[in-house]
Amino acid sequence: MIVSLSSLRPLVLLTMLGSCLVGIVDAQEAYEEIPIDKVDRGHWAYQPITEPRVPSVKDVRWPQSNIDRFILNKIEQTELTPAARADRLTLIRRAYFDLIGLPPTPEQLNTFVADERPDAFRRVVDQLLASPQYGRRWGQYWLDLARFAETDGFEHDKVRPTAWRYRDWVIDALSADMPYDEFVTMQLAGDIVRPDDADAQVATSFCLSGPDMPDINSMEERKHVLMNEVTSTVGSVLLSLQVGCAQCHDHKFDPISQADFYRLRAFFEGSVKLSRNQSITTLAHGADRDAEAKFYVRGDYRRPADVLSPAFPRIANTAGRMLGAEHAGEERSQLASWITDGDNPLTARSIVNRVWQFHFGTGLVATPSDFGIVGEEPTHPELLDFLAARLMSGDWSLKRLHREILLSATYQTQSRPDASVAEDEQESRSSWSRRLRFDPENRLLSRFPRRRLDAESIRDAMFAASETLNHEAGGRGVMPPLPQEMVQTLLKGQWKASEVTADHYRRSIYIFARRNLRYPLFATFDRPAANCSCAVRHPSTTPIQSLLLLNSKITLDASHRLAARVIEEVDEDQQRAVATFSRVLSRYPTREEIDDTVSFLEDQRRILATEGHKDVHRAAITNLARALFNSNAFLYVD
Amino acid sequence: MFSIPHRRDFLRTAGGGIGAMALQSLLTRESSAEEGLGSSQGTHHPPRAKRMIWLFMHGGPSQVDLFDPKPDLLRFAGKPLPDSFGEVMTRRKVARNPLLAPIKPFRPRGQSGLEVSDFLPHIAEHADDLCVIRSLHGDSVNHPQSVYQMNTGSILMGHPSVGSWLAYGLGSDNQDMPAFVVLPDPGGGLKGGPAAWGSGYLPATYQGTTMRAGKAPVLNLQPQDGISDAQQRSTLDFLRKMNERHWMARDRDDELSARIDAYELAFRMQAAAPEVVDLTDETAETISLYGIDDPVTRDFGERCLLARRMVERGVRFVQVYSGNTNGWDAHSNVAKNHGEYCAKTDKPVAALLKDLKRSGLLEDTLVVWCGEFGRMPMSEQGKGRDHNPWGYCGWIAGAGIRGGRAHGETDAIGLRAANDRVHVNEFHATLLHLMGLDHRKLTFLHNGLDERLTGPSEVDVVQELIS
Repeated sequence: MIVSLSSLRPLVLLTMLGSCLVGIVDAQEAYEEIPIDKVDRGHWAYQPITEPRVPSVKDVRWPQSNIDRFILNKIEQTELTPAARADRLTLIRRAYFDLIGLPPTPEQLNTFVADERPDAFRRVVDQLLASPQYGRRWGQYWLDLARFAETDGFEHDKVRPTAWRYRDWVIDALSADMPYDEFVTMQLAGDIVRPDDADAQVATSFCLSGPDMPDINSMEERKHVLMNEVTSTVGSVLLSLQVGCAQCHDHKFDPISQADFYRLRAFFEGSVKLSRNQSITTLAHGADRDAEAKFYVRGDYRRPADVLSPAFPRIANTAGRMLGAEHAGEERSQLASWITDGDNPLTARSIVNRVWQFHFGTGLVATPSDFGIVGEEPTHPELLDFLAARLMSGDWSLKRLHREILLSATYQTQSRPDASVAEDEQESRSSWSRRLRFDPENRLLSRFPRRRLDAESIRDAMFAASETLNHEAGGRGVMPPLPQEMVQTLLKGQWKASEVTADHYRRSIYIFARRNLRYPLFATFDRPAANCSCAVRHPSTTPIQSLLLLNSKITLDASHRLAARVIEEVDEDQQRAVATFSRVLSRYPTREEIDDTVSFLEDQRRILATEGHKDVHRAAITNLARALFNSNAFLYVD
Repeated sequence: MFSIPHRRDFLRTAGGGIGAMALQSLLTRESSAEEGLGSSQGTHHPPRAKRMIWLFMHGGPSQVDLFDPKPDLLRFAGKPLPDSFGEVMTRRKVARNPLLAPIKPFRPRGQSGLEVSDFLPHIAEHADDLCVIRSLHGDSVNHPQSVYQMNTGSILMGHPSVGSWLAYGLGSDNQDMPAFVVLPDPGGGLKGGPAAWGSGYLPATYQGTTMRAGKAPVLNLQPQDGISDAQQRSTLDFLRKMNERHWMARDRDDELSARIDAYELAFRMQAAAPEVVDLTDETAETISLYGIDDPVTRDFGERCLLARRMVERGVRFVQVYSGNTNGWDAHSNVAKNHGEYCAKTDKPVAALLKDLKRSGLLEDTLVVWCGEFGRMPMSEQGKGRDHNPWGYCGWIAGAGIRGGRAHGETDAIGLRAANDRVHVNEFHATLLHLMGLDHRKLTFLHNGLDERLTGPSEVDVVQELIS
């Protein structure tokens, strides 16, 4: 059915057989919106979220929480068993990097190992969740999703001088455990729901954190590209739907029509007013009163068709909510309220899946920003729903979710075969190799997935281990110096090293995020370029990374500083080995490692003496630290 | 008991006297790559080109002044653009400005008689090797968007560049060198920045590695001052011992051993990279051929020679940029700007073609020359020209491409591509085809879409270019 809209302005929605048919006629071609059918509606992601029954398991001793019952239930359907619990040192390092992105200090290690109370680990988890460092770690995950940078990108890559306030807002919100529904609402409509709160408007920078070209010739083109990008990002981040695929034509696989796309965009249309050569960071309600939301034929800004009104994407609008005239002026807060409504099948699933992914490396749905047909099915659909339902009934508290995950037996399994304590070593080895053989990708989570540290943690941990990390929070992004060879090729003023040296040692999340120039260590270790929303970082292994860790000034600097601390503390090689290992690797060296280290230090001192070095003791430990910062034991978390 | 592959190499190449030995291992590696070990995915069809050198003239070289002779432009110079050309979108509102005649005369060159401007006398000598595409066109009048489009197929930031796609599709022929090397203009300031050689949503492994002439061709290639070879060797020995033990206790996990290998590669690169950029083994004739003995041509000549040395050593794709932040962007004075940039690049580019040809490499090496767009036939500020993405020139040579000809045409004055138009996406499809890859099959699943270099629209390989 085709409806000419020339006679039907503004847009008329025809409700027919439960779905909307919208026809849009352009001079050249007709557009007919395809109705949503039963098959579309049957897809798992659009089913209502109900808290599923916790399955029963054969091994009733292993589970420590309901999460474990869902996980074990699947494992028990195979011939696998969950791996043994990881030892305390492994667990504490895992929890520290996971929750705060820093290693435990030797004191924290000792305290935990000595703490014989049965709830010692729970206490650590609670401490970490309460730490201000938590937001500085988890904030980055959200900033990746929000494609956050502090510059425009494109040719001039101009600085957005207040962009950092959004970064701080995210960190603070997560640290304060702002309920996720509120977190979303603020980012979509903070300016509307809290008109008198400047911070609330800052939160809307989520929408506009992507690249933009303020000096482009055509402001219509600029606005079109920008609005489409906002719409795509909102869809993929908050709903895990790739609505962006529908900007030029109906989505090829999912029941998201091109009209759905432009109706979603319509929520934002009047809140963005662009001026030539001016960057934009926050939404402002009513900024552009003349803006008309339109359908664009083939997504071409030169081919606007008929006017559209905002409406929720049909496939996810299971409750059939409509936006009435009484909501004029609060369209975005209505959108937020629809997204965070308990009836929305996507939102809670989307965020619990992301949190799961950040803890385990892979989500229960392996395609966290695409719950559509092309995306992966959940490996544990009931667990996903269980967590989603619990999130909503638990006041949307993310910290509660973290806690539940960290205190599960699933989270606490080993990531490697048990080397020593197995009563029957043969049996232990063969059950381990079964796990590798039957579940090479570890989707059943019969063992903990080992992960490489991400770029920010590598840098932060190097400075933390050497006690040089500057814990100052917030404010404008800082610029540590860049290698001279690189500076020569930069534009004037592109990167001006911060004058205060202490700023060079701030946590990684506070390093200035220039879209056209990622900090080299970050670019080398897979930090995304902030040009589009990034849900999963793909860790790579390259010789360029090895060169950087071996030879960069950063590594040498951290190693040198660490050596000074160690020398201050102890004056005997075995003790120095222990001190260096526990700082860098958060564990004590084995007997064998102590022997190797002692002879390494002797070897180094001999070489250094021949070279006429002044302080051979410190230089030898510097090289020890440098070796450890390059070791897989440092770069990977078991 | 156990062994980590290449462990002995690792020791051997880690310290002093590494040059010769590393070269040895480099050669060994290359021969094993011949047997197909170097490819991560492999080609879809037999490739015409095994490697590519892309000479990127940043800023937008003027087609009507270099490779696209327009007698009518000479005839109507000084007059406004006839109304029959309709509305023209321009960056700097030059549509109503008087037409500017070609700055220098064109002449038929070589046996083919392909016309090339007097701006480029050296390249002109190779006219019979060039297939000039006179009908390239893109979608944006802005530099960064066009730089992105020419490199990544999209005017938006964040898509993988041609080199990344090739590295992803074909892998490296030489494990000691990156598959995709960029030689930026030392003046810096590419409009759009390193995103032009970024890997976009492809893994970081595939991003372009920038290299430069001199002692430090790659960042962090050499240890910091005060760290001697002996210290480094002993540190690496210790590291290896630590890593092996760690690896043994973890099922000899592939990712862990890949990282152990990466340290070896880093070490071979430490030897291989300086060797690549060390021009002392080139003859005086070659140095002079590339114009390295002349201050005007030294820089670009050096980088063209580096490009040859890199493809010789198995680098898959080398991109050489000419032009600092302004580069070929001749808004105010084409004669002055192009005079300068042609002088810098003409001889080196010609030398590269000649050198590749005499060594036989040109047979399966594709050489590409173009900018992000061309320039308008109308004048700007009297003697300059504004950006023109609607119709412009690039050329390809080598890889069995039939030279001495022009493909496609712009209109009478060189404003828009008119006949046998070649959109940037079609150009890319053709380049991939020559490298043995089908642009429809070379995909990467990202956010629910099978992304590809040529974008969502259906485009075809330009058969006339490769026949």
